Amino acid sequence: MVTSTVNRVDDATDQQTGSATPRDPKGLTRKQRHWRENIAGYGFLTPWLVGFFGLTLVPMLYSLYLSFTRYNLFSPPEWIGFDNYIRMFTEDPNYTQSVKITLIYVLVGTPIKLAAALGVAMLLNYRDRGAGFFRSSFYAPSLIGASVSVAIVWRAMFSTDGPVDNSLSFFGLEIGGWVGNVALVVPMMILLAVWQFGAPMVIFLAGLKQVPRELYEAADMDGAGPVKKFRSITLPMLSSVVFFNLLLELIGAFQVFSSAYIISNGSGGPAGMTNFYTLYLYKRAFSDGQMGYASAMAWTLVIVVAIIAFVLFRTSKMWVHYQGDNR
Amino acid sequence: MVNVHKRRRFMALVALTAASGIALSACSSDAEGEADPTGSATGEETSEGETASGEDVTLDFAFWGNDVRADMYAQSIDLFEEQYPNITVNETFLGYPEFWEKRQTEAAGGGLPDVMQFDYSYMRQYSENGLLLDLGPYLGNEINTDGLTEQILGIGVVDGVTTGLATSTNAWGMYTNPALLEETGVAEFAGGSWDDYKAWVAEVTEASGGEIYGGTDYTGRIQNFEVQLRAEGKNLFNEDGTPGFDEARLAEFWESGAEMRGDDGTGISQQRLEELYPVSGFGSALTASELTWDNFGAGYLGELGESYTELGLVEPPVTVEGAKDLYQKPSMLHAISANTEHPAESAMLVDFLINSPEVGAIFGTNRGLPASESMREGITFEGLDAQILEYEESIADRLGDAPPVPLVGYGTLEEKFRVLGTELGFGTVTVEDAVSQFFSEMDVVLNS
Amino acid sequence: MTQRGDVWVRDDADQERVPAPRPYWNRKRITTAIWFIAMAALTAIVLYPLVWLIFATFKDNSEFGQNPALLPEDPTFDNYAKVMEGIAGVPLWRFFANSAVIAIAATAGTLISSSMAAYAFARIRFKGVGIFFTAMIGTLLLPFHVVIIPQYILFNNLGMIDTYWPLILPKFLATEAFFVFLMVQFMRGIPREMDEAARVDGAGHVRTFASIMLPLIQPALVTSAIFSFIWTWNDFLAPLMYVTSPEKYPVPIALKLYNDQTSTSDYGATVTASLLGMVPILLFFLVFQRLLIAGVATQGLKG
Repeated sequence: MVTSTVNRVDDATDQQTGSATPRDPKGLTRKQRHWRENIAGYGFLTPWLVGFFGLTLVPMLYSLYLSFTRYNLFSPPEWIGFDNYIRMFTEDPNYTQSVKITLIYVLVGTPIKLAAALGVAMLLNYRDRGAGFFRSSFYAPSLIGASVSVAIVWRAMFSTDGPVDNSLSFFGLEIGGWVGNVALVVPMMILLAVWQFGAPMVIFLAGLKQVPRELYEAADMDGAGPVKKFRSITLPMLSSVVFFNLLLELIGAFQVFSSAYIISNGSGGPAGMTNFYTLYLYKRAFSDGQMGYASAMAWTLVIVVAIIAFVLFRTSKMWVHYQGDNR
Repeated sequence: MVNVHKRRRFMALVALTAASGIALSACSSDAEGEADPTGSATGEETSEGETASGEDVTLDFAFWGNDVRADMYAQSIDLFEEQYPNITVNETFLGYPEFWEKRQTEAAGGGLPDVMQFDYSYMRQYSENGLLLDLGPYLGNEINTDGLTEQILGIGVVDGVTTGLATSTNAWGMYTNPALLEETGVAEFAGGSWDDYKAWVAEVTEASGGEIYGGTDYTGRIQNFEVQLRAEGKNLFNEDGTPGFDEARLAEFWESGAEMRGDDGTGISQQRLEELYPVSGFGSALTASELTWDNFGAGYLGELGESYTELGLVEPPVTVEGAKDLYQKPSMLHAISANTEHPAESAMLVDFLINSPEVGAIFGTNRGLPASESMREGITFEGLDAQILEYEESIADRLGDAPPVPLVGYGTLEEKFRVLGTELGFGTVTVEDAVSQFFSEMDVVLNS
Repeated sequence: MTQRGDVWVRDDADQERVPAPRPYWNRKRITTAIWFIAMAALTAIVLYPLVWLIFATFKDNSEFGQNPALLPEDPTFDNYAKVMEGIAGVPLWRFFANSAVIAIAATAGTLISSSMAAYAFARIRFKGVGIFFTAMIGTLLLPFHVVIIPQYILFNNLGMIDTYWPLILPKFLATEAFFVFLMVQFMRGIPREMDEAARVDGAGHVRTFASIMLPLIQPALVTSAIFSFIWTWNDFLAPLMYVTSPEKYPVPIALKLYNDQTSTSDYGATVTASLLGMVPILLFFLVFQRLLIAGVATQGLKG
């Protein structure tokens, strides 16, 4: 992961300096320019550097250390090597169950949510007049915070003879309530995530607003149809934003916590079907006083997500187009 | 060129890691430094309690509860500050799970509030780690013990040291819904064995034509198991942390609830309960009885709404005739942080909150049935309060000594038991699997 | 459908003979009509749960277990009356004011620090840019629950418990990689010619950043402002850890106080308070989403 991104960014920046050399306005030598770039770079990065070294890095490394210990929050951590990791993979059925439902949630939920967000964003982008109202309406579900209200509303929607049950019955699907149906709890949680698709939608929308309209006008003149325009203009121009949303939504889905916590009142029920990875980790850390085990879970997740992110960054070269890079 | 670059980066990484390692050790030693002085709490140094100085003092006081309880505490604290003008009390309060998440963090990071409302299930963990002040020196001095029985004083003792005082007690009981019983024409549960109770539940469910249910599968709650074990002369968990039951006994207990579970069971189905959450089945007027702590009545009345003014409160079913299977549990305690700079003033606050009749008048039974005689004097018991008082008096012959203070990790096991109960209700595990899962969880908890 | 189609054909034929006004249902209008219908249908589905929530605020507490229908059986304003009273002597407006202070400060901090960091990552070539970029992405990956305790210890040592500093200071230090990365992605979408032209004219990084880059990524800034404000407003865990005095509580913590499973729970008050808690962020969104268009207009001119 480290080297890949380093190369990527360096590639990009190499192009910049490479081409900037002949027309340097101030007549600085290469060395002086490097100096100035370094000063500027670290200057702009100072707040982030302070935050990273001061607030983020130490707690992160500390949790890595804790993952090799038994730590109940009260007595000092006790080094136990890889025991936590071994227990996780060999003798904890709850962990296996938690991984399973989390994977379903991520693999099914993320594409649906992103497709919904992109589709609606494109619809919204179709015209500006009257779009403000719809835009706000679609974002509204994402405003509701981590309150018990979410549990109350969502359970009401999916209970027996609730709106979802009634609508499906209308189409001849007699499923009954979802809330108490162990097989339908994960789909219900996925729909909750999809319902709150406001954030990626707004980001897509902001990305669409950056696509120059002239490109579409030119395509119109060439007689391109909507599908062709989508594939050859919208997607490439939007690819950096698609990449962002894809990566962040994946990470977010792997770390799904609040909605599961609220819907299940922190228990991960019914029958462990909302016991998603981070909720289980949280319960281990704070309810059960097994912070070492929780840290091991956290770092296992870090590694898995890092691999996914690495692959995404690597493959992104093939499909993500940066205006700033292709001159 | 590339290699040089990479090596430099590697060196930078090493430097970074080293730097943070230093910061890290500073950080963890600080944490220990914070926690260290607490070790003295159970030692001899504090056996001579400090006395109040009379100087201006500020105390932090934390409790869990809703807006109603917060108002009650606010009024009580006002009275306290009137009586002791040199003491200022800053209150902070949260819901129960958030309260404990915050305390866990503070305990690990140093900085518990001076005085806390405390829960029985966390007593051992906090006491054994030296986070709570030994109240021994203050008993009979700052803290008046005249109104507290030996039994009550014995509740907050961990390993021979008093670290908590019960504000109030509750006992296991069974609430019934008189309005539903009248509709179905079934008489109130007249007492009897667990089998009698199951028959009664089935009768109610049948009489209502499936509209409502006689009760909930009681084998989902560990307390019912405990009541049965106590009747057999055992503990759920012994002082040394060993369980008072084996696989076979637990399997038998879970099997005994089989007829109440599932879609065609005599009790309300788990599916139904899930749909009702956050409201309980009993609070939604869908079950006619619920085995629970006797201080839950007010909550049920709130959920049932204004059309309900009374509930039935009767004894739980009997396992063995004449056994002392019930006990008074502290519904909550007060404890003082071992770190407090003002132990004497903190003790005065605890005394006030536990003994004062005025505080009793404000709270009624909001925190459970007050433990202290003098506090009870301030309360005119009426309605549900009177009913609870009467109930706890009526079960006197079934009340035995309280079991040992719950072992560290009891909360985890109680929750695991409840979750396995719901899975049995859904039919997603067999009794056999549930038993083996519970025992393996017990293994982890008892060995860590 | 086909019949309608025939009608249009006839209209077109008419048009050939008489140069009369264009038919009302031309292709553009039809698309627009379909657009409105599709939008309205989607909106109805998406908003239904919220409408349910609004009606629920008029339900009596006891209806929550017993009446799952949309409409209250016996509408009441009691929930509003109760919520307006505040909690334990702290007036309701106080919680809103607290949240507003935290959210405004956090948003300002996020915008300033994240845009600076993003500019460094996207446009400046300095030693270590790659490793720091990776580190920044890395901070996104760790579930934050395991760093709560070390961070608490840190802020406790700094004497910042029961102040808003632990909630605001990190935002000024760009600790939320989400926003840094978002802005990096948007900056990379800007053609390099734009800011390089300025560099050729002799502008340094500071001027290029402030007068070229920031205006160009306005959609990203607006988006970040919206998210930062709303997420901080709704944040529960950080204030739970660091704020102790009830009079300093922000809205999400206050909300939970109507609901305690160990005593009575007031669901009516809970939904009412959470609905009221959504009003300020809805207004914030309504105001700022307009800039999402304005940003495009300026950019369209420049591009």
